Amino acid sequence: MVSQKALQHAEKCRFCWMCRHLCPVQHQTGKELNTPRAKGLLLSMLSKGTAEFDKDMAKAMYECMLCDACVNDCCTGYQPPLFIREARTEAVVNDLAPAAVMQCIENIENSGNIYGAEKPSFGQDGTDVLVYIGEVAACKVPEMAKAYLRLLKKAGVSAKVLDCEPASGMMLADLMGYVQEVTDQAKSCADAINATGLPTVVVLDSYDAEIMKQHYAEWGCEIKAEVVTATAYVAKLLEDGKLTPKAEAKGAGACHDDDRLARSFHEFAPVRDIAKAAGYTLTEMFNKERLAKSCGTAVALSYMPGITTKVASGRWADLCRTEAKAMLTANPQAYLCLSQCVPEGMTLVDLYTALNEVV
Amino acid sequence: MKQIIACVKLVPAAAEVALDGQFRLKRDSTSLQLNIADLSAVEAALGLKEADTQVTVLSMGPAKGEALLQELFALGVDRVVLLSDRALAGADSLATARALAAGVRCLGEFSCILCGRRALDAETGQIPGQLAAALDIPAVTNGQQLEKADNGLSCRRLLETAVETLTVELPCVVSLCEYSYTLRLPSILGRRRAKDKQVEILTAADIGLVAEQCGLQGSKTKVVHVDTKAPGLRKCSYCNPEALCGIIKGVQ
Ligand code: SF4
Ligand code: SF4
Repeated sequence: MVSQKALQHAEKCRFCWMCRHLCPVQHQTGKELNTPRAKGLLLSMLSKGTAEFDKDMAKAMYECMLCDACVNDCCTGYQPPLFIREARTEAVVNDLAPAAVMQCIENIENSGNIYGAEKPSFGQDGTDVLVYIGEVAACKVPEMAKAYLRLLKKAGVSAKVLDCEPASGMMLADLMGYVQEVTDQAKSCADAINATGLPTVVVLDSYDAEIMKQHYAEWGCEIKAEVVTATAYVAKLLEDGKLTPKAEAKGAGACHDDDRLARSFHEFAPVRDIAKAAGYTLTEMFNKERLAKSCGTAVALSYMPGITTKVASGRWADLCRTEAKAMLTANPQAYLCLSQCVPEGMTLVDLYTALNEVV
Repeated sequence: MKQIIACVKLVPAAAEVALDGQFRLKRDSTSLQLNIADLSAVEAALGLKEADTQVTVLSMGPAKGEALLQELFALGVDRVVLLSDRALAGADSLATARALAAGVRCLGEFSCILCGRRALDAETGQIPGQLAAALDIPAVTNGQQLEKADNGLSCRRLLETAVETLTVELPCVVSLCEYSYTLRLPSILGRRRAKDKQVEILTAADIGLVAEQCGLQGSKTKVVHVDTKAPGLRKCSYCNPEALCGIIKGVQ
């Protein structure tokens, strides 16, 4: 069953219910089983022999965005995603994971990415920085990746993109937990990045940046280059005057802080600097920065489109409570999820494309 | 390489631990973790493993450590043996090394024994040397990197102000520094294989020891008193540079 460390986290819960109102999945499904505490209780019951790990329990463990909102708020330092990931490992080990999850894993095994598709080539062989595009942007939101590369070109930055960019391991880690298969992917990715010898790797998807910056070193596959989020890199180009936007008023917009920028990096200013430079007047949603509500992930959208789309609609509901009509994001996964259910009269804005329009 | 044995200790995971009336750590009331340096020993053993090599983990401690040790199977460890018996409790480093040596003799032929260089809790760092002495084989301490060599193991080891590389004949004991190796994560296949494996628990009698040879009774050293350092005895206070000369003159 799950490790002793994971079990300690599951059993630390005081059942105070403070996390109940924070969980975006619980919000949208209304299921008690989708509270982080309920998932902890299930595992605790397993360890005490009062429940069995079956397909239903495995399914419940996959009904989570691993968004870390519960971790951010729990006063006991309780980390539900830690044991939820391990429970997913257990589900895969025992062939109990939902069929859609197993299909995603098979796609990764066969093609290197969750979509089972060939990643497009971006034809960039520059010498200043390496841009790590990631499979979501490459396969599902290529316009965002292209817009980002155009921005770098305008700023005079010579960018390289790996032709056969290996997966970072981020998606596999969401599907089967932190296991050796994930560290194998991470090692290949780190090797490919290190082989370029470039001093900086700019990571377009903050979910990829999180695994690279916060896990690669502990797995013994450190990236030698400095790993920078794409948002922070462009914000610095703006600050240094390498990108000079024309003044253009585009109306009110609210920035969506994605799960990783919000809670892994606590990076809030760059995305707002980009939005302002693109011409937006900023307003804020109630759940912002560290408390930002998840809009779903590309992994969850692949194996659980219904619930993930509901979670994304929950984020749109937050925007509808403000005067803004534009949801602003610089994250390909957020863009993909939010694009599933844009409410009438609202617009979804890819900030890199928006910035390109004014520089 | 035939069998590689990795010795691991389960140490308290809590930041603060309690002592019993005989100044022994109360291990029952706290959660346990694998000693940090021992993680390097396990990873080095798995790294040296060949198709026909068995990696065995040997530990001594309370039976409640079994669940934690069970997790090692998923990493590729073939066998886990836990020496657990009330009679073994309270052992000093000599009695511990004696018990481990007796345990090793029950495990069959081996090429090398890898240990962490010291434990987080007692931190004596004596076990690797004492274990080698008890088995009458060479010991290399403070290892950082191991490689197979024609006539044994090539070990890079840490000295006070330098590193040296030497070759040691097999069988031998090597102690490894903390963080010299990164312990791998379990694989899905490893987790599947681990489901059928079980930690073997051996008592003092199973390894051929009598009460006088182990635990408190078999120990040469005893902790007679433990004191908490009283804060404030140095009477430290902050002063500005101008006042410093006057203070120094006052002391003279
Ligand atoms: S996980 Fe934390 S916040 Fe949620 S019920 Fe348990 S103790 Fe409370
Ligand atoms: S990680 Fe997010 S989705 Fe998962 S239980 Fe916690 S709050 Fe809910």
